[in-house]
Amino acid sequence: MTEPSRSTALLLNVDGLSVDYKLKGLSSRAIDGVSFALRAGEAVALVGESGSGKTTTAMAIAGLLSPNARVSEGEVRYRGERLPINDDVAMRPHRWSETSVVFQGAMNALNPVHRITKQIAEPCILRLGLSRSEATVRARELLELVGIPADRGAAYPHELSGGMRQRVMIAMALACRPSIVIGDEPTTALDVITQAQILKLFGDLRSKLNLALILITHDLSVVAETCDRVMIMYAGRIVEDGTVADVFAQPKHPYTQLLIESIPNPANGKRMIRPIPGDPPNLVNRPSGCAFHSRCPSAMTVCATEVPSLDEVRRGRVACHLHRPLTQEDKVAIHA
Amino acid sequence: MSENTVQYSKRSRERAIKDFLRQFLGHGGAQLGIVCLIFFFVLAAVPNILVGPLQTAINATGDFLAPPSSQHLLGTDEVGRDVLNLVVHGARISLTIALLATVISLIVGTTVGMTSGYFGGWVDVWLMRITDFFFVMPSFVLALVITPVVLEVMGRGGDILGFRPSLFVIIVVIGMTSWAFVARIVRSQTLSLKERTFVDRARVVGSSDFSIMVQHILPNLVPQIAANGALVVSGAIYIETSLSFLGLGDPLQPSWGTLLSLAQRAGAASAGAWWYLGAPGLCALTVALSFVLIGNALDDTFNPRRRVIP
Amino acid sequence: MAANGGRTTRHIGHALLRAAVTLSMVVILNFILFRVIPGDPAKLLLGGARVSVTAEQLEAQRKSWGLERPLVPDQLVDYVSATLHGDLGYSFKFRGRRVAGLLLERLPATIALVGIAQLIAIVVGVTLGMYAGWRRGGVVDHITTGASLALYSTPSFWVGMLLVVIFSTALGWLPGYGGYSPGALKGSLDLLLDYLRHLVLPVSAVALGLIGQYVVVSRAAMSDVVAEDYMVTARAKGLTDLQMLMRHAFRNAMLPVMTLVTLNLGYVVAGAITVESVFAWPGIGNLTVEALNARDYPVLQGIFLLLGVSIVVANLVADLTYGLLDPRVRQ
Repeated sequence: MTEPSRSTALLLNVDGLSVDYKLKGLSSRAIDGVSFALRAGEAVALVGESGSGKTTTAMAIAGLLSPNARVSEGEVRYRGERLPINDDVAMRPHRWSETSVVFQGAMNALNPVHRITKQIAEPCILRLGLSRSEATVRARELLELVGIPADRGAAYPHELSGGMRQRVMIAMALACRPSIVIGDEPTTALDVITQAQILKLFGDLRSKLNLALILITHDLSVVAETCDRVMIMYAGRIVEDGTVADVFAQPKHPYTQLLIESIPNPANGKRMIRPIPGDPPNLVNRPSGCAFHSRCPSAMTVCATEVPSLDEVRRGRVACHLHRPLTQEDKVAIHA
Repeated sequence: MSENTVQYSKRSRERAIKDFLRQFLGHGGAQLGIVCLIFFFVLAAVPNILVGPLQTAINATGDFLAPPSSQHLLGTDEVGRDVLNLVVHGARISLTIALLATVISLIVGTTVGMTSGYFGGWVDVWLMRITDFFFVMPSFVLALVITPVVLEVMGRGGDILGFRPSLFVIIVVIGMTSWAFVARIVRSQTLSLKERTFVDRARVVGSSDFSIMVQHILPNLVPQIAANGALVVSGAIYIETSLSFLGLGDPLQPSWGTLLSLAQRAGAASAGAWWYLGAPGLCALTVALSFVLIGNALDDTFNPRRRVIP
Repeated sequence: MAANGGRTTRHIGHALLRAAVTLSMVVILNFILFRVIPGDPAKLLLGGARVSVTAEQLEAQRKSWGLERPLVPDQLVDYVSATLHGDLGYSFKFRGRRVAGLLLERLPATIALVGIAQLIAIVVGVTLGMYAGWRRGGVVDHITTGASLALYSTPSFWVGMLLVVIFSTALGWLPGYGGYSPGALKGSLDLLLDYLRHLVLPVSAVALGLIGQYVVVSRAAMSDVVAEDYMVTARAKGLTDLQMLMRHAFRNAMLPVMTLVTLNLGYVVAGAITVESVFAWPGIGNLTVEALNARDYPVLQGIFLLLGVSIVVANLVADLTYGLLDPRVRQ
């Protein structure tokens, strides 16, 4: 209790969370029984292909699900309190003050007709109740904090470079002193050098402000230096969860193994991302058993029939039949 | 191998057409528009069978400005003609004018836009300068000053291709003054299409510019032309009705706009003869709205993001 | 900065050039149309076929107008120079009256009619359209969009005729003819009230058509804005719906609407020709109908020139101010 800003208290507890989208009468489950915990100051990566449910998971936590999406099962507890995710109005006090988001493509995420300072000051005025001049002072401080000269705040978004805009987004995300910042592919649109600078900024701010960080990405290579922990998602479920060191050194799930192999590595001559063969699964008509079995090189007969649960194993969690006790009959390989 | 490809593309085209029809016909607005248009096209096709020949002051069958009754479902006009008779015959005139004007406008607009976009350079500069003029000046304003002068030159007697001269002039003038926005859309589509590989392929094989435009670019423009064509028809009806209302139509071949003009001159509004001025206006409104709805539905269906070009 | 300045200058240059080209085409078209009309142009210039003139007068007219000289370039140059000096010739119908004078005399009534209609239509149409786009798919959206598409496709003169039948003939609430009640010239306040009463129906007819247009455009603009990423940011910041609408959506959605408003200023004169004819409103529109019926070509051409100038000027203004509200284009 002496130094609350360095605490590692449990911030977030996601328990069996499922979210359904309704579109023209069809319902599709975007995430299915997602469970994990997040502590103050911790940095977690959510990794997966598009459609894996990583963004839906993060948006549910931030209270930003679209109107046609509902939490159908499970719950999210923030500091022990259950979040009313399905209630747009009741979620409002939580947004930005507790959980803020750095969106991808800051060009579109910033309003093109307002000056930078005004956009950063806005939540300070509306949410913290600061006066206009107080909010402007705070906005200028925040700009300096993310490495932008405060005077640049008079600019409009289109007058800044991509990296600068992303810094502005980060400054804005810090405006109400949240404990959790979600980065939704925050470096996707940037060149490699700027990407590295932004990730470093995330790391610095995290230790300076004791922020918990949830980084959404489809690119494993950005995870390594920024995060402590990585959760791999596939077809709306977490398939592997572990520390970055463990997952990279010893990936347990076949999907994780393929993901890591697909990272371009100039050292061994691989320059292009090698895509994983096969198509992502259809979320309206889910395949039976493990959603990955049709693309999995080690698939067995049991994989087509039984959904593997996310089990605690030594050093982490994994949802794969290869890591469970099985009968001989279950172990027949599908692919020769 | 090549036969396979051909069959495959044929089958996929059939599927594309089927998909298109399902989506287009599933559109509520399109359904409403199509039903209304079928109704009016039937009226326009066989007016004599439905209501007998067009009545004149001589063979008029009713009282002056009589309200609707069992004999005259839509009442009569100031010389005793049956309004239903006039409106049904008017459908033929109004629809013919609007559709022919649209055909002219689409031909001119497509030709100008495609030529401009395909050749670029000074051809583009000059054609677009002319297009700008017609884009800025409303068709109605141009028609308003051109039509009476052309009529004065040609005279109002006789007929041209079965039309009274003033109708013929209105068709041509509307067509020649409302192509500019079609030309702009076609031009921008052509600009992007001519960069596609299939155009390069045709060029390498040695196809002439003309055949590339007609065989490769034009077919891909059809969705845009169709969607905008529907909007052009709607505009043409609006302009025709307004011009005829101002007295530029021909009483011997009365369109809905001409009927409204006659109603206005007869003081139908102050006489409270709502049937006389209501019927032709409602028809014009319904047809124009139907084309707008169909155009919107086509536009929705041909959403550029979904469109597949080989 | 220098590059930006250059770009701005070039943009202004282009806009001016386009306006000049369009206006020249209007003038040339006027010139051609006038020469094409059968009959002796000198006689036409003196007041048309219905005026009796002597041979000497015709000869003098031919001399003073240079009609024996070649059409191009001499006569064209003369015509353009006369037009530039505001000399639009004489009316056939209103004998001896200058066309420019006639136009000026009729202009205020038209501007009053269309100006008031525009103001009402902008307020009502933009509000309805923005709300429909904001709550896209809702009940208000369906009703508003349906009604405005119908209004958009309806000739406004027909709306005017219906208004006369209902509110003037059947109910007797409002006058449906002319600009003032004959013989009712008392105090100036009464005069004004009488004028306003005459304005109600024609203004409504013009405004209803415009409302349809404004609803369609504002709704489209607003539904585009609602789908933008920065609206998600605003929601993430914990803003209420009203704060999102007022602080982020409205101004951005107004950008395309402002362009439409500016362009519509150009149709202040042309927009009410048919409606004025229904109500015998003493403005340019009614003058157009009178000129059409009397084949009064000088007046018709004067009107065409007036319409052309106002449309071209409005387009020029829209071109030049485009982006004054939008910092992305401003610079």
